[in-house]
Order: sequence, then structure tokens, then C-alpha cells
Amino acid sequence: MTSAAATAVLTPAEMAIGTPLPTRRQEDWKWTDLRRRIETPYARGAGVADPSRVARLIAADPLAKLPLRRVVFVNGVLDRSHSDLTGLALKDGAPALAEAEWLAAMNTTLEAQPVTFTVSGTADRPLHLMFLTLADAPAAAGARVHIDVAEGASLQFIESHRGIGAYLANPALTIQLGKGARMDRAKLELEGAEATHLAVAELTLAADAVLRDFTLTSGAALNRQNGRITFAGEGADARVTGAYLLGGAQHADTRLVVDHQVPRCLSREVFKCVMDGDARGVFQGKVIVAPDAQKTDGKQSSHALLLSERAEFDAKPELEIYADDVVCGHGATSGDLDHDHMFYLMSRGIPQAEAKAMLIAAFVGEVFDGVDHEGLRDVLTAFAQNWLTAHKS
Amino acid sequence: MADQDTIDLVKDIDVDKYKYGFTTDIEQEFAPRGLSEEVIRFISAKKNEPQWMLDWRLEAYRVWQTMVEPTWAKVSYPKIDFQSLYYYAAPKAVTGPKSLDEVDPKLLETYAKLGIPLKEQEILAGVRQQGEKSTLDEEGAGATTPVAVDAVFDSVSVVTTFKAELAKAGVIFCSISEALRDHPELVKKYLGSVVPQGDNFYAALNAAVFSDGSFVYVPPGTRCPMELSTYFRINAKNTGQFERTLIIADKGAYVSYLEGCTAPTREETQLHAAVVELIALEGAEIKYSTVQNWYPGDKDGKGGVYNFVTKRGDCREAHAKISWTQVETGSAITWKYPSCILRGDHSRGEFYSIAISNGRQQVDSGTKMIHLGKHTSSRIISKGIAAGRSDNTYRGLVSAHRKALHARNFTQCDSLLIGDKCGAHTVPYLEAKTSTAQFEHEATTSKISDDQMFYVMSRGLSEEEAVALIVNGFVRDVLQQLPMEFMAETQKLIGISLEGSVG
Repeated sequence: MTSAAATAVLTPAEMAIGTPLPTRRQEDWKWTDLRRRIETPYARGAGVADPSRVARLIAADPLAKLPLRRVVFVNGVLDRSHSDLTGLALKDGAPALAEAEWLAAMNTTLEAQPVTFTVSGTADRPLHLMFLTLADAPAAAGARVHIDVAEGASLQFIESHRGIGAYLANPALTIQLGKGARMDRAKLELEGAEATHLAVAELTLAADAVLRDFTLTSGAALNRQNGRITFAGEGADARVTGAYLLGGAQHADTRLVVDHQVPRCLSREVFKCVMDGDARGVFQGKVIVAPDAQKTDGKQSSHALLLSERAEFDAKPELEIYADDVVCGHGATSGDLDHDHMFYLMSRGIPQAEAKAMLIAAFVGEVFDGVDHEGLRDVLTAFAQNWLTAHKS
Repeated sequence: MADQDTIDLVKDIDVDKYKYGFTTDIEQEFAPRGLSEEVIRFISAKKNEPQWMLDWRLEAYRVWQTMVEPTWAKVSYPKIDFQSLYYYAAPKAVTGPKSLDEVDPKLLETYAKLGIPLKEQEILAGVRQQGEKSTLDEEGAGATTPVAVDAVFDSVSVVTTFKAELAKAGVIFCSISEALRDHPELVKKYLGSVVPQGDNFYAALNAAVFSDGSFVYVPPGTRCPMELSTYFRINAKNTGQFERTLIIADKGAYVSYLEGCTAPTREETQLHAAVVELIALEGAEIKYSTVQNWYPGDKDGKGGVYNFVTKRGDCREAHAKISWTQVETGSAITWKYPSCILRGDHSRGEFYSIAISNGRQQVDSGTKMIHLGKHTSSRIISKGIAAGRSDNTYRGLVSAHRKALHARNFTQCDSLLIGDKCGAHTVPYLEAKTSTAQFEHEATTSKISDDQMFYVMSRGLSEEEAVALIVNGFVRDVLQQLPMEFMAETQKLIGISLEGSVG
């Protein structure tokens, strides 16, 4: 936080939340001016929600039918009554967030109740953390979860974020992958239409750890996700993918830092962003290669598909490289549907709307295909189909 | 073979021996040290400027005083004491550019030593004298196309060649001081219309104290009959160089312009804060090439030029085209973003760059392509090569505004690292505010692969030769954009800049 921002007069929204908000004068926030965009004075903490409403919301979850071990957080607090905790190594408390950053500071201010999961061996079922926010009046809720995957352990992990009302959700997740550990992570950001989703995810990989990470961003009026992946041991491998399906006046901004601190790690990032209506998508990726991180192989790409003339995409794919024996690259593209592709399909007798849907499905399909869990992949495909039907224009 | 020449040159020249590091001992006149309204009035009076020009400068100075030095670039340097600099230095007895015969022979000698034999060039109309070694063209020998040169020595333009020939075609090519005297209406109309006084910290400083620079006006429908060139030389100690270049290509005109820069080897750092404004009207084309070889400092980072420059072109009307080509090998710090504002429909911007950093050099350079008009297109090719303990950053912006329907951009920025103590960074910004804009951006960072080296060396080349060959291949796309006369020279410069980085 700069001193200038700290001494500035706080807005009513900032006073309510108890922390200053970044403005576009902060380089990382140049496309998402939180101070200007957050006008609602959210109350700190959303209180206790009505259990029957919680139960209804759980039942409506798109993942409800999958055989997952479900752990529910309501308004940022672990809801034991709706969670399946038997045999889970769970304790209160979590390590402090590594990055002294706006959203991490907010999480501290919101006094989230930290929880730590420890995973050893191979989990019997995928772990599903369901984050729900129910606010009758505008409220801000922070959640704080730490997952420690022990050496050689493996975990399929899904988190979903949903809610009702005008709320601000501020989940902060830290994950430690031990030596040779593996995690398949999927995040579904399906927050309510009036919601603001400000998430922090910090993942650290020890030697030979494997990470498969996918994020679907489709909910919330305002979304900002700060991710950081740190390679702390040699030979680790991370593939991070994401899809945006945005419409209306939605705004989503992902800031993803991949930090190669040690030699011989591999990272891949692929983001596919679809924006319709007046939506605005932002992708800020940064690959850092430290002076000794030789033999690093890092690639990132972000591709945007703008379906309406008013939709917008901003990207800042950064490379910061201090080692010479590396192969790094990034690519970014932005445009509308390829007219040649449309022509080809329509000349084969496929109606325009259908051809369009096929091309969009193929565009995001690339990242869906990387999702390992078959049931989840089907849910994602169905979700995308519904989204396309709703945005057929 | 060009690459063999590179190798030979590399061998000849010690890494610490900057080729152009000599000083010309000539009597000079300075403005009082430091910056104040008085100094600005002094500079303006020296140049017999009209009142409006002085007011314009003072306005810029007032704006500058309210501005904060920017710190966002990935470069670090000790704070500049703006009051310890001289803002005006001129060889004595130069009251303004004269004809060649009147120029102090010492100055001509300086330029000859830099490979710009002004006098011979004019006399022989471009045919080089036998035995006259020119760094501009060593293999081509014999007849070359004439190049008109404006030679700027510290704060003043000392001579402009080929003025008569250019005048026949209606082209105005002179120092900006002369332009203020002879064509005030043109200067008044266009000066500051692309880079306004308060545009940024260094542009405001430049607007307040700029002393000279080149002025080009190409009338409608005219293709400038020869390459135009400005050669900048910093000579005096503790002097900042603040030149201002203004190039206007009227409807349907074409001009190709090249600037070269060198400075003596000194232990103190020197500030160079120039502003270049290009204006291309309907259907006009401006090709602007830079071979920047300011003194880079020694291998421990002592001395060198701080090259903080604002360069911007405005494709003001339809079908205009502006192309920037830069070869950046010198300067302790290079911090500049030659940009294009694509205002006219169907206008086009291009940026080709080779930035080489060695020793302790720092480069933060790139471009901005701002698409405002319909069907505008732009292309960016940037090749960064970092060696030694240098940092080399590409920073660029490509934006399409709401109304920039069917804007197109292709960007490719590649970085090559030689050695494990240097850094190469890429910071591109893409902003697409219309779905009809098609943007493509690609970047890679790598070192010369062992396979490439093995292949070339198995053909009998030594390690140094192999590196030079591969690097020249790496930058080929950009080299090809340079005017013919400068390609060979540039290839050698690349070899020299990388000297000491292999092995």
C-alpha cells in the first residue's frame, strides 16, 4: 500500500470495510479501479444465515449430484452441520498470507476464520469446498483456507463460489504441495449477479509436485482473482487454465504470477475469455524466472473472443527473466468470431446461431478438456451450453 | 562476408574502447549552470526567437515545475540534479548554421572522424573519396545515394548539407532555429501538436530548454529526393542535450529520415532528453530510423548517457503511414517508446526495433500503437538482446478505441539472453475496446540453443563467429527495414556491442 493511498480520505465503502482500496494508479489495478467501483458500504461479516436457505442453495449446486466429499462454508465460516468431515484432518488456524497485498489485507481486516486441511495418501473422494454467501443486507465476508498436501499425496479438489444478494466475497486460499504431491484443482466462480468476488490463491510447489488448475469465471458483477504459483522445488510441473464466460456489464480481472524460483520447472497457462454485451475481461499474467532457475520452461497464452462490439478485453502478459538457459514465451490474441469459420459452417447448412455456438464451445473447449474429473467436465460443458443459449444474440 | 567483418571488428576493438569516445577540443559558450526562467530567456534570446516561442517555453517550464519525475520504468539510476547541468552549450562563433565553407574545420574533422565527411559528401555528391574510410559503408564502396545531413553539435546545429538541392524539390530541411526564423507559421502550427508541452516530465523539460534539432517539411505530393539525416553529437561536459525534431509530411508526401548519435567517453553521466514529433497528413509516409550509439558507460556502469526521449508520430489523416526503426546499442539507460497515433482511417503504424544491452546497460523501450481510426493497422517487431549484467525490457501498448473498427495489430517481441547475469523482460499491454479489432501478440525468450551452435560450428565457424551469425539472423527482420546505407554498419555495430559477451 502506498502512503499516498493510506493518507487519502477513505470513501464510505472503504470505511465500512475497514481497509483502503486500490485505484488505477496502482499498476496491478489499472484496469480494475476498486476504489471507484465499490460504492456500496458493505457491513463487515454477513452473520448467520437461515439454515433452510443454506440447504436449498446446497441442493441447487451444479455439482450436487457428483460423488464428492462436500465441505460447506457459509458467509466465510465452516458450516459443520452441512459438511462431511468424517476422517478429514482439519484444524483451526492457517499460516499468515505470504503476500502483503490489498486483497490479503482485506481478508485480515474481515477477520476470516482460518481453517487448515491436511491431506496425506490419496483421498477416497474429491474434496469439494462449497463457499456460499447469503446476505440480506450488503455485507462482506472473508474466508481463509489452507490446504497442506503431504509428500507423495494426491488430491482432487473442487471449490465453488455462489451466493444470493449484494455481497462481497473475499476468499483467501493457500495450498502447499509437498514433494511429489499432486493436485487437480478446479474453481467455479458462479457468484450471484450482484456480487463482488475478490479472491486470493497462493500455491507453492515442492520438488516434483504436479498441479493441474482450472478456473471458470462466470459469476459476479465484479471479479478480481489474484493468483500466485511459486516453484520452490526442482522438477515441478504446473498447468493453469481458465475460462471466462461473461455478459451484461460483468467485469473480471485475473492477475496470475508464476514465480520460477528454482531450476527445471515447467509452467503452462492458457486462458480463454469470452465476453458478450458490455462485459470487460482482463488477464494480467506474469512469469518470473529467478537468476538461478535455469532450464525453466514457461509459456502462457490468453485468448479473447469478443461477441459484441461493446465488449472489451485488456491483457498484460508479462515476462521477467533473469536466467539465460530457458524457454519462455507468451501469446495473446483478441478478436471476434472468425468469419471464415462461420462461413464454412453455414455453407454446410448449419444455422447461424448454432454455428456460432459451436465455435464458442470449441474455443473454450480446449481448456475444459484439460479437466481430469469426468463428471466435472460434463458439468462444465453443460454450463457452457446453457450460457450460450442464454447469450444467443 | 558481413559476418566475417563483424568478427574482425569485434576482435580489433576492446570492449572498453568505445569507438566514438573522443572529445573535440573547441571553444564553447555555455548558458549559466542550472535551470531557471533566466536560462530559458537566455536560450531564447541566443536564438533570436519570437515572443510566442519564449512564452511557449516558459509555459512548459511552469508545467515542468509541477511535475514529478516518473519512476515506473524498470531502470534505476541516482537522482538527477537538474540544477547542476548546463542547458546550453555551443561552439563559439557559431551564430547559426552557415554554409560549409564557414564551419570551423575542427567541427568538420569531428564529423569526419565519426564517419560523416560532411564536406566531401557535399562536394562529391555522395561518391566517396578513395581511401576515405567511412563507417557508414565499408563494403558497398563507390557510388551511394546522397544523404542530406543536419549536424547537431551539443546545443546547436552546425551545418545542414544539400539544402539547395532539397529546396529545388520544395523540401525544407534545416535546423529548428532556422525554421523558427524562416517558416514560423509552419513551426507554430505543428510544434507541440503531437507531444504537447506538458506531455510528460522529460518532454516538458525539453519544451522549456530545447536548443536545436531538425525541421523537415515535405510539400504535398513530393517524394523527398534523398535520405535526410541528423547526426547528434554531445561534446561538452556536464551538458544535457535537448533537441527537438519536427517532421511534417504533407498530403501524399514521402520522406525517409535517419538519426545517429554519439558522445565522448566521460566518467559523469550525461542527460539526453529529446522530443521527436512526426506528422503525416493524408496518404503521406514517414520512415524514421535511429541508430543510437551514445556512450554506454564502461563495463562497471560508470558514466554513459541517459537517453530519455519522447518520440511520437501522428497519422493525422487517412491512409497515412509512419514507420519507426530503431537500433539501440548505446546509452547507459535507454528509456523511450516511439509511438504512433493512428487517427486517420486506414492509417498504418510500424515499429521495428533491435535493442542490445551489454555491460551494465539498462533498456526500457518499446512502442505504443493507438488505434483511433477505422481500418487502421500496426505491426511491431522487437528484438531484444541482453548480455553481460544488463537489463533489457520491452514495454508496449496496443490499444483500439471504441470507434477503431477493424483495427489490426500484429506484435512479435523476441528476447535473447547471452549469459546468466542479465535480464530480459517483456511487458506488453493490450486494450481492445471493440470486437472488430484483431490483435495478435507473440513473445519468446530464449538463449541460443546448443543445437544451433553445434550446427553452425560443425560447419567450421568458431564460437564467436557462430554467435554473431545467429544473432544477425535473429535481428534480420528488423535490419531489413533500415535504409540500405546503414544495414552493413548496423550489422557491425551489433557485433561490437556484443563483444566480450561470448564464452
